[in-house]
Amino acid sequence: MTELEAGGAERLAPVRNGTALHRYRDVLIALIAFAVLASLPLLTGSKALLDFVIRCSAYGLFATSLNLLVGYTGLTSFGHGMFFGLGAYSYGLIMQKLGVPIPVAFVATLVITAAVAAVIGAICVRLKEIYFAFVTLAFQMLIHSTILSWASFTGGDQGLRGGIPRPVFLGIDLANHVHLYVASCALLILGLLAMHQIAQSPFGYTLRMIRDNAARASFLGIDVWRAKLTVFVLAALFAAMGGMVMALFVSGAYPEFAYWTISGEGIFINMLGGVSTFLGPMVGTVLLLLLNDTVTRFTEYHGIVLGIVILFFALGLRKGLLDFVAEWYAHRRDAGEGR
Amino acid sequence: MLEIRNLTKSFGGVKATNDVTLDFPDGSLTAVIGPNGAGKSTFFNLITGALRPASGQVLLDGVDLAGRSPPEIVRHGIGRAFQVANIFKSLTVQETMLAAVSADQRSSAVLHKRFPLAETRDRAEHVMELLGLSGKRHRTAATLSHGDQKLLDIALALVLEPKVLLLDEPTAGMGPEERWRMIDKVRELWETQKITVVFIEHDMDIVFKIAPKIVVLCYGQILATGTPDEIRNNSAVIDAYLGTEHAGAVA
Amino acid sequence: MPRSHRPFAPGPAHGYESAQVDLDAFAGCLTSSACLVTQTTSGLIIGMLLFLVAVGLTLIFGVLKVVNFSHGAFYMFGAYFAMTAYQLTGSFALAMLAGAAGTAILGLIFERVFMSRVYGADVLMQLLVCYAFVLIFDDVVRIIWGPEFKSMGMPSAFQVMPLFIAGGVVPPYYLLLIGVALLAAVVLGLGLSRSRIGKVIRAAAHNPGMVSALGINTGLIYGGVFALGGMLAGLAGALAAPVRSLTPGMGFSVLIESFIVTVIGGMGSILGALIGALLLGLIRSFGSLGFPLFTDGLMYLFMVIVLVSKPTGLFGKEAA
Repeated sequence: MTELEAGGAERLAPVRNGTALHRYRDVLIALIAFAVLASLPLLTGSKALLDFVIRCSAYGLFATSLNLLVGYTGLTSFGHGMFFGLGAYSYGLIMQKLGVPIPVAFVATLVITAAVAAVIGAICVRLKEIYFAFVTLAFQMLIHSTILSWASFTGGDQGLRGGIPRPVFLGIDLANHVHLYVASCALLILGLLAMHQIAQSPFGYTLRMIRDNAARASFLGIDVWRAKLTVFVLAALFAAMGGMVMALFVSGAYPEFAYWTISGEGIFINMLGGVSTFLGPMVGTVLLLLLNDTVTRFTEYHGIVLGIVILFFALGLRKGLLDFVAEWYAHRRDAGEGR
Repeated sequence: MLEIRNLTKSFGGVKATNDVTLDFPDGSLTAVIGPNGAGKSTFFNLITGALRPASGQVLLDGVDLAGRSPPEIVRHGIGRAFQVANIFKSLTVQETMLAAVSADQRSSAVLHKRFPLAETRDRAEHVMELLGLSGKRHRTAATLSHGDQKLLDIALALVLEPKVLLLDEPTAGMGPEERWRMIDKVRELWETQKITVVFIEHDMDIVFKIAPKIVVLCYGQILATGTPDEIRNNSAVIDAYLGTEHAGAVA
Repeated sequence: MPRSHRPFAPGPAHGYESAQVDLDAFAGCLTSSACLVTQTTSGLIIGMLLFLVAVGLTLIFGVLKVVNFSHGAFYMFGAYFAMTAYQLTGSFALAMLAGAAGTAILGLIFERVFMSRVYGADVLMQLLVCYAFVLIFDDVVRIIWGPEFKSMGMPSAFQVMPLFIAGGVVPPYYLLLIGVALLAAVVLGLGLSRSRIGKVIRAAAHNPGMVSALGINTGLIYGGVFALGGMLAGLAGALAAPVRSLTPGMGFSVLIESFIVTVIGGMGSILGALIGALLLGLIRSFGSLGFPLFTDGLMYLFMVIVLVSKPTGLFGKEAA
C-alpha cells in the first residue's frame, strides 16, 4: 500500500454535537430565507414578481423532489410529473366536491398520493435504468389519459374549472394574493427543509449507496427495493405539494399538469441547475422560468432559444450550473490542500 | 462454524459447482485455489446469495442460508469483498464506513436524524484504523489508489463484524510487493479479529506461505483439501493443476 | 407546445357516438365483416407507419445505445419535405423521395455534428440534446411552413373509387401505404441479415469495440445508421402526408407511440418493432370503437402490462 502512510490533512468534522449543529443551521437558513421572501410584498407592489415566486415554489418543490430520485438515488423517472398532476387534481377535486377546510384537503391529497405512489412504485422500482424511465412514463400517460377520458369527474380536456374554493382557515385567506404568496413560500421552505433533512439523513446516504452501487448495498444488508420504493413515495409527496401550490395559484387543475412534458421540464430543470447539489434544481427552476418568461416576451419562437440554451448546457458545460460551480470549488479546495 | 453441504449449481448443463461439501471451523484461515473457470467465484456467489444454489446447504452455526437473499445472508454474518473493488465511488472513505455501520445497525432507513449517527462512529473509526484508511477518510472512493480501493472493499465487509469473511482475490491486479503487503494485512486481520477467513488466491507462493489450510477446486468439484504440504504432494493436484500451469512456479 | 396531436388516430370509423365506453359498438364491429375490414386496415396503416418510425428508433438504440428523443422530428420533416416537393413538382414519387432523402441527410448531419459529441455521456445529457432539437426543429418548421395546419392532399393518381373488400371500405392509397411500408420492412430485414454492411451493423449493435477492432470506421456506421433511421421516419412522414394534417409538433405523439412500440417489442429488436407496431395499430383502431376517449390509455396500459411481465419487451434480449 504505497499510499497508506501518506496521511492526508485531518479535517475531522465536529463529531458528536456536529449533527445537531447542522440541523440548527439549516433551520436558521430556512427562517432567514422565509423572512426575506415573506417581506418581499412590503418592498414591492409588483404582482408579477410575487406570481413568479409562487410559480417557482410550485416547480421548485417538484424539481427538487425529482432530484431525490434522479440525483440521490439514480432513479431516472420520466413520469414524476404524474404526482404533480395528481396533487393538483386531488386537491382541486376534494375542495370542489367535499368543501372541507384547506388543511384537511392538503393532508388528504398527501395520503392519496402516497397510496397511488406506493402501488405504482412497487411495480416500477423493480425495473432498471431505461426501463424504469419508460414504465414511469407509461404510468404518467395512463393517468393523463384517465384524466382526459373521465370527463364527468375531472372535466376532461377542459380541466377543473369554475375555480377551487379557498375558505379562510386560521385567519389565512388564500384568496388574498399576499396570503397566497406567503403560504406558497412557507410550503416551499418547509418542503425544502424536509427534503434536505431526508437527503442528509442516514436514509439519504443509503440512497447514495444505491445510486453508486446497488448490488454492493445489498451486500451490506440493505433492502434495495424497499429503499427505492420509500424514496419514490417520499418524492411523490413533495411533487404533489408542488402540484397543490400550482392548483392554488391558478385556482384550477388542467390535464397539462399531468402531461409528460411536466416530467420532461422537471428533468430539464435538474440538468440546468445540476443534480449534485441540493439546491441545484431550485437554481434550475428559477433559470428556466426566467428564461421562459423573458424569451416568450421577445420572440414567439422561444423553442429555438430554449433549445440553444439547452445545447449550451449539454454540449458546452456538460453539466448543470451548480454542478459546475461545485466542481470548480472542489477543484480549488483540493489544489489548496496541496498534496 | 460454516458448513457447506452438497452445494450444486449448473449453468446450461455445465456444473459450475458440483456437490461441494466443506467445513470452515471458527477462526480458520483457508485459501481456495484452482485454475481459471474452476468455479471459485461461483462458490462464493452461492454462499453469499448472489446466486441461488440448485441444491445443497450453506449452514452457518447450524442455520441453513442456502437460497436466501444477499441482505439476509449478510445479516447472518457472512461478509464479502470482491475481486474488482466493489465500492461506492462518490462517497468518501469515512462516509462509506459510517453508512455501512448504519446499514448493519438497521438504521439505514432513519429519516429524522442527521447522518452520521453518533453510535456508528466508533466502529467506523476502528475499522478505518485497522486497515490504515484513517488518513484518507475524506477522500472520495473513486480517487483512491487501486490498492486502497481494495482495502476499502475489505473494510466494508469487515465493518459489519462478520463471523465469516470471504475475500475474492484480495491481491488481484496488484504488483508483487503490494500483493505481499495486502496478504500480510489479511493475515493480520485474521489473527487480531478472530474471525473465519476464506480467500481466493492465484499466487501459489502466497497461498503456500500464508494459508494453514487449502482447498483446491477444479471443474466445480473439490480436488483436494489439506495443509500446504499435503496439497504440494497431492498427485491429483499436481496432475490437474500444478502440473500444467504452475509447475515452474512451484519447482 | 401543442399537446396530443393524433396523426395516426383514425377516430371512430363509422360515426359511432363518442361515449366513454361503447362496448356495443365494439361488439357490433366484431360481428360485422365490413367493420372488421375497415378497422383492420386502419389499424394496419397506423401500425405500418409506426413501424417505420419505430424501427429507426430501435436500430439507433441497438447500434448507438442512444435513445433518439428527436426521432419524431424526422417524421415531421419527411411529411413537410414531401408536401413541398409535391407542390413544386406535382409528382408523388418525387415527393416520397424528397421525404426520405431529405431526412436521411438531416439524420447524418444531426449525428455527425451533435449526437456524436455525447456518446458515452450521461443518458440524461443525450436526452437533453435531443430534447433541445425537438424544440428547435418544431420552431424551424413553424418559421419555414407556418404554424397552421397544412395538408398535402391526396395525389390525383389515388383519387379513385375506394375498394370494397368484404363490404369494408379500403381507399387504394391505404394499400399502397401498407405495401411500401412492407417493402421497406422486407428490404431492411434482408439487408441487415444478408448484406455485408448489414452484418457490420448487427455486429456493431452486438459489440461496438469489435467493429472498430476490425478496422471499420464506427463513425461511418453510426452516421449511416442515424441516416437510415432518419430516412425511414421521413418515409413514414411522407407516406402519411396525404392522409394526415401537417403541423409543427406532429412528431411528438408519433415519438411517444414509437417509444411504446420499441419498448413493447424490445429495444433493439426489429421483429419486435414490427409486431409491437402492428399490435399498437390494432389496439388504436379497435380501441377507438370500444373506448373512444381512452384509446391512448389502452396503449399505455398495454405497455405497462408488457413491461411488468417482461421488462425487456416481447423480443428484447435479457440484460447480461
